[in-house]
Amino acid sequence: MAHNELILTDVTKRFGGLTAVDALSFKVESGQIYGIIGPNGAGKTTVFNCITGIYKSEEGSVLWRGEEIRGMTPYQIVDRGIVRTFQTIRLFGQMSVAENIMSGRHIKSAQKWWHGIIPTPGKKRDELENWKNVEEQLDFFKLSEFAATPVGSLPYGIQRRVEIARAMAVEPTLLILDEPAAGLNDKETLELLETIFKIRDKGVTVLLIEHDMDMVMEVTDYLTVINFGKKIAEGTPEEIQKNPAVIEAYLGSEDDDDE
Amino acid sequence: MKELQKFAYPVFFVVMAVLPHMLDDRWQAVAITFLIFSVVALSQDIILGKSGMFNMGQALFFGMGAYTTAILSNEYGWSIIATIPLAIIIPALFGILLAGPIVHLRGDYLLVVTIGFNIVFVQVLQNNLGGVTGGPNGIFGLDSLSFLGYDLMSQISVYYFAFIVLLLTLWVMHNLAGSKPGRAMHYLREDQLAAESIGINTRVYKIFAFGLGAGIAGLAGTVFAVQYSAVSPEAFEFIQSVLFFSIVLVGGSSVPGVLLGVFVMFVLPEIFREFATWRYFIFGFAMIAAMIMRPRGIWPATFGKIPKFLIKENNHGA
Repeated sequence: MAHNELILTDVTKRFGGLTAVDALSFKVESGQIYGIIGPNGAGKTTVFNCITGIYKSEEGSVLWRGEEIRGMTPYQIVDRGIVRTFQTIRLFGQMSVAENIMSGRHIKSAQKWWHGIIPTPGKKRDELENWKNVEEQLDFFKLSEFAATPVGSLPYGIQRRVEIARAMAVEPTLLILDEPAAGLNDKETLELLETIFKIRDKGVTVLLIEHDMDMVMEVTDYLTVINFGKKIAEGTPEEIQKNPAVIEAYLGSEDDDDE
Repeated sequence: MKELQKFAYPVFFVVMAVLPHMLDDRWQAVAITFLIFSVVALSQDIILGKSGMFNMGQALFFGMGAYTTAILSNEYGWSIIATIPLAIIIPALFGILLAGPIVHLRGDYLLVVTIGFNIVFVQVLQNNLGGVTGGPNGIFGLDSLSFLGYDLMSQISVYYFAFIVLLLTLWVMHNLAGSKPGRAMHYLREDQLAAESIGINTRVYKIFAFGLGAGIAGLAGTVFAVQYSAVSPEAFEFIQSVLFFSIVLVGGSSVPGVLLGVFVMFVLPEIFREFATWRYFIFGFAMIAAMIMRPRGIWPATFGKIPKFLIKENNHGA
């Protein structure tokens, strides 16, 4: 049995003449909280899109549990236990919080297409089981009071929580968070940190992109720093903080931070 | 609103169940038309309202069901009832085959393609393909409905046939709303990328929506063929598809909204007969007004219900 490892080897993604990700390699081990940091436009989100199947990288390989997932569609990759959130929250805005989280149960549900036409006792049981799981997620993420509220009308911080709850409803092995602290205030960021630790304690590996350096240093076990699509450093947070290449990449980028 | 609906549905069913006994022949015919077009509009709602695909060719599937019944009955001597399974399956298969290569298209492109399909379909009928469609005149003089040896010639029996079909459709839509495929349609309509990223194979569910919508429209086609004991190409022109499309858009993607839309479009003109020629004029303005004032339809969609045990006290906006 292969370990729950994600190994990227020389992943390259080009958009026309621009090389957004340039021969990037790194390895996420089971149980880690792994961070990818870098200045704006460094290609972090593109890396995530290459892992989750939204883009297909031109070169390199993305191995998950020993299986090549480069070129698979997003839903095939979700089916293998990798689930993501988005930097710009993508929820089903008109639907309630509970229904949003229920979408995460889609691949776990045993229902077939014909259950949309004819109900069976098995379908009823399956529906109930999955709604029960939604209830667990609502409790875990302290969202119970919003269960029936349309998600689009909720504050940003809560929407972030709903998106992570939706991803956790899939019962992923690897959770990918794209700038989870973006737009959160200090209190919400602290709560997020706690949540991420609790998720890790459930045995889920977490891979995250983050801009907020303080948060990254506090939460991650291991880091890769990229700039212009290339890896410029990797190591534990302590090592990274002392790395001169990293300090240089971040100096000067602080000013034209567009977030 | 919820209380009202709980109360309104039984009342609606009871009224519809006794209605034909209170109407004369002409109004019975109007009521049957209402039932048939309601079923087609609901089937369009599955594709357009629930899944958000701009299908402007629903009359094609409606017509395909009607022609399947007419041809099997007329050419091959099948009883009307025996044609029903094929009148559902053939349009459903066509829905799947036609949708397969086109569902990835964006809204407006999909719309144009489905218009094309509808036009080709009517051309095929008019040119008497295989010598079975009867050309521009269509097929007439169909057998009446019979079941277990009983001849169900009267208009009242046709009414109940149509009513049962409507009830069946509503039942299927109810099942759909509380199921994995039904929710998948909502998700992919709201945000396709998010749906894919949560593990939904959007292509499969889009094609499923087309197949299901086409199958139900085909069943409505059988009722249509029985009601007029005839089928002809002009009943399935592209302009009919436009009507079904607008009914869902103006009514809103909900059962009451769609039924209201069908009522306004097909029953009101009968009530105000002297204004019948005005109906497109009035409906056109109603569409403009509705879209400006209520862009999500007169009676907008409510999503799948969530179970009661999830709704805790001090819930917001429940």
